[in-house]
Amino acid sequence: MADAPILDVQGLNIGFQAYGRMSQVLHDVALRVETGQRAAVIGESGSGKSVTMKAIIGTLPQPAGRVLGGSIRFQDRDLLTLPRRERERLKGTDISIVHQDPLTSFSPVFTIGEHLEDVLRFADRRLGAATSAADRRRRMEATLAQVQLKDPARVLQSYPFQLSGGMRQRVLIAMALLHRPKLLIADEPGTALDVTTQDEILRLLNQLVSEERLTLLMVTHNLAVVRQTSDYVYVMQAGRIVEHGTARQIFEAPRTPYTQQLLEAIPPLYGPRVQQRQAHSTDPVIAATDVVKTFRAPRRWLGPETPPVTAVRGANLAICRGDIFGIAGESGSGKTTIARMIMGLVPPTTGRIEIDGRSIDDFRRDPDFRRRIQIVYQNPASSLNPRRTVAQTLSVPLAFAGSVPKDQRAERIRTLLGQVELPSHFADRYPHQLSGGQKQRVAIARALAVEPEILVLDEPTSALDVSVQKTVIDLLLALRDRLGLTYVFISHDLSLMRNFCNRIAVMFRGEICEQGDTNEVFEHPKHAYTRALIASIPVISDAEERAKPVVSLEERRAVLASTVQ
Amino acid sequence: MSAVSDVAQPLDEPSNRARAWRRFLRNPAAVIGAIIVISVIAAALLAPELVPFPSHAGSFVDFRSRHLPPSLLHVMGTDNVGRDIFSRVLFGYRVSLLLVFGVLGVAVPLGVLFGLLAGYFAGPVETIVMGFTNVMLAMPPLILALAITAVLSPDLVNSMIAITCLWWTWHCRVVYRVAKSVAAEDFVEAARIAGASRPHILFRELLPNCTAAISVKTTLDAGFVILFGASLSFLGLGVQPPTPDLGTMVATGAQYLPEMWWEAVMPGLAILYAILGFNLLGDGLRDMMDVEI
Repeated sequence: MADAPILDVQGLNIGFQAYGRMSQVLHDVALRVETGQRAAVIGESGSGKSVTMKAIIGTLPQPAGRVLGGSIRFQDRDLLTLPRRERERLKGTDISIVHQDPLTSFSPVFTIGEHLEDVLRFADRRLGAATSAADRRRRMEATLAQVQLKDPARVLQSYPFQLSGGMRQRVLIAMALLHRPKLLIADEPGTALDVTTQDEILRLLNQLVSEERLTLLMVTHNLAVVRQTSDYVYVMQAGRIVEHGTARQIFEAPRTPYTQQLLEAIPPLYGPRVQQRQAHSTDPVIAATDVVKTFRAPRRWLGPETPPVTAVRGANLAICRGDIFGIAGESGSGKTTIARMIMGLVPPTTGRIEIDGRSIDDFRRDPDFRRRIQIVYQNPASSLNPRRTVAQTLSVPLAFAGSVPKDQRAERIRTLLGQVELPSHFADRYPHQLSGGQKQRVAIARALAVEPEILVLDEPTSALDVSVQKTVIDLLLALRDRLGLTYVFISHDLSLMRNFCNRIAVMFRGEICEQGDTNEVFEHPKHAYTRALIASIPVISDAEERAKPVVSLEERRAVLASTVQ
Repeated sequence: MSAVSDVAQPLDEPSNRARAWRRFLRNPAAVIGAIIVISVIAAALLAPELVPFPSHAGSFVDFRSRHLPPSLLHVMGTDNVGRDIFSRVLFGYRVSLLLVFGVLGVAVPLGVLFGLLAGYFAGPVETIVMGFTNVMLAMPPLILALAITAVLSPDLVNSMIAITCLWWTWHCRVVYRVAKSVAAEDFVEAARIAGASRPHILFRELLPNCTAAISVKTTLDAGFVILFGASLSFLGLGVQPPTPDLGTMVATGAQYLPEMWWEAVMPGLAILYAILGFNLLGDGLRDMMDVEI
C-alpha cells in the first residue's frame, strides 16, 4: 500500500438548489481510499451514494448541485479547486466510471466501435496526445479482449441491441478501462443483470483490479455483492457515512443499528436464520398440464416468415391451496409467460391450465371465476395510472368485478388501505406522491379488492430497497395467514424465495428443470443449472458461502454457455 | 425500517384541486395567458358595446377619412374605405373565435376519440383509422379546403366544415401515438383484469394520460386555425366582405404597405395577441394538469 491515499474525501457537504431553496443532501462525507484498495459505498436509494460519486468524478447536476464545503483530494490534488481544464483531463482517464444500466448507457444508433472511438479520440485530444486510427483500433480490441469478450472485431461492429446484457456490461467496463485509469468507480455493476451474469461481471472486476493494480470504488445497494468484491466498506444513510470498516468488520460485527438492520433485511440462503415455510394443505388449486407457449412474430405484408419462438415447452405444475409457490428463473426463462398463462392473459398454445379442476377458458364466460385469481405487477410505477388517485385506482375493481355499489366503495377503500397498512388519507394521493413501497401496497390492495383466492406476484419487490422489500414480504405473509391466500411468486431472487416460498420450480430455457419443496431444492439441487444458479447468488457470510453447492468451472460453462456470452 | 417508516405520517394536505390551482396561479405566464384569452373573449362578446363605430363592421364607406393613421379617434387608424380598424378588429375577433371554437370543438373530440380507438384496439380498427388519417394528412390542406369550400358555397360555416374535416386527423395522430404507448402499461392490463369496461379504459385510464399532448396541440391549433381561416378568406373562400375578418383585413391592408402600415399591422397584432394568449394558457394548463412534476 502506498503511503498517501489515492482518494481522500474530507467533510464533503453538497446541497441542491430547487425552487429557490437549498436542501443539503451530503453531510460531512469522508472517504479514504488507499491505492490498490477495493472500497465500497453502500446505501439505499436516497442515501446520497450516487451524489458522492458524481462529486468525485465531477458530474454533479448543474446548476442545481452545489459543493457547500469540504475537499476531494485525488493523488494529493484537490479536485474541487483544480482549474476546469485540469479537472476535465482527469475525467475518464485517471478517474473512470462504469455505469449501472448497460442498455441506456449506449446510444442505440451508434456501434460499439463508434462509442469506444469517441471515448478514445476525445480523451486523447484532452491529453494532447495525437494517435492514429489504427493505433486506436488496436487499443480498443486489446481492451475488449481484456474484459474477456470473444471476437472483439465483431463486437466493435455490433450495435448495442445486438449484444446481451452481460456483454454490454463488459463493454462498459472496457470503455472505462480504455485509458488505464488509476481509480475505477463502479456504479451498481451488474445489478441490472441476471444473478449468474452478475457473478461473472464481479469475478471479472476482481480479476481486473488485481491484474491492473486498479483502485476500485464501488457504489451499490447490494450488501452481498460488496462482501465479494470489497476490502473496505462505507455505509451511507441520509447523506451521512454512518459506519465504515473492513468488510469483515461490517459483515461480522456491525456496530450501528442501521447496518444491523440492513444485514438482517437480507434473506439468508443457508443457516439458522432461514425461515422455512410449511405447506398448508395438499389440496391442489392450480394444475398446469403439458403447457406449451410459442410466440410467432406477426407476419409482415410480403415479408419473410420469422420462425416462432418457444417461451415455455411442456410445463407441468401442481400448486396447492395455501402454497407460496415460487417460480424461479432468469430473464427469458419463461417464468413470466407461465404466470401470464395462469392469469389467462395469454392462452397456452397447447396444454391445459385448471383452477379447482375447472379450465381457465371459463374466465371469459364467468367473471366470478375470473375474480378468484389476481396479479401484482413488478413495477408499481407502471402498474398504477399516474393520472388517477389511489381511491380512483381502487374503485375500478370494486365497481366492475366486485359490483360494489357506489355508496359503499369509500368504506371498502378504507378497509383495503387498512389491510395493506396504509393510512386512509392516502386515498386522495396520486402515485407520484407515494414511495415505491407504498405504491406496491396500493397495487396489492387493488389485487385484494375483489377478494381473490390466488395472487400471482410477478417480482413484486424487485424494484424496492432491501429494507422496504422486507416490510412488503412481511405484509404478504400476514395477508396470506389472515385471508387464506395462495401465492404464485415469480422471481429471480433465489435468496428471497428460499425464505418466502414453501415450494419452488426452477425454469431454464422454457423448461421447468427442477421442482419441489424449497428446502429440498436448496439443500440438494439436482439439476446442473439449479446448482450453478444457487452458486452464483451473493451471500453475506462465509458459512453460507461454504454451504453453497460446489460447481466446477466446466459444469458452469456447460449450463451457462448461452447466458454468459 | 419498520413497517411504519414506509408509511408517511398524516399531514394536513391541501386537496389535489387546490394544489393544481395554486400551481397555475404561481405561473405568471399562465396567468397572463388566461387574462389575454378572457380579454379577447370579452372583446368579441361585447364588441357592439365597446367599439366607437359599430356601423363600421358592416358595409360602411367614408372615402373622406380613408387611410387615416392611428389617432385618438381611430386608435388603430382607418382602412382603404375609411372604416375604423379598431372597431373591425373587435368584430373580427367574433369571427375568429367562432372559427376556433367551432372547428376545435368538433375536430378535437373527434380526433381524440379515433386516436384512442386506434391506439387501444390493435388490428383492423388501427389499420383502417390510421390508414385513413395518414392519407388525409398526406394531402395539402389548403388545396383540400379549397376543394371543399368550392363545392359548397363560400361562407363562414362551410369554411369551418372544411377546416374541421382536415383538422381532426392531426389530433388523431397525436393521441394515437400517446394512447398506443400508454395502452402497453401494466395499469391498463390491471384494469382489464379488474373487469373494467372498454369505455372506462379508453376514457378513464388512457385519456387522462393524453391530456398534456391534447392541450398543447389544441392551444397551438387555436392560432393555426385563425391563420388558416385567414388564408381561406384571403383566397375569397372564407368569410365574405363586408363581414370583418382579421385574415382578410391583413390581406387587404398588405396592399398598402409600407406607407399605410397600420392597415396590415394592427389586425396582425390582434391575431398575434390572441394566439399568444392561447399558447400561454395552454402551457399553463399543461403544467397544472401534469401531476408528475
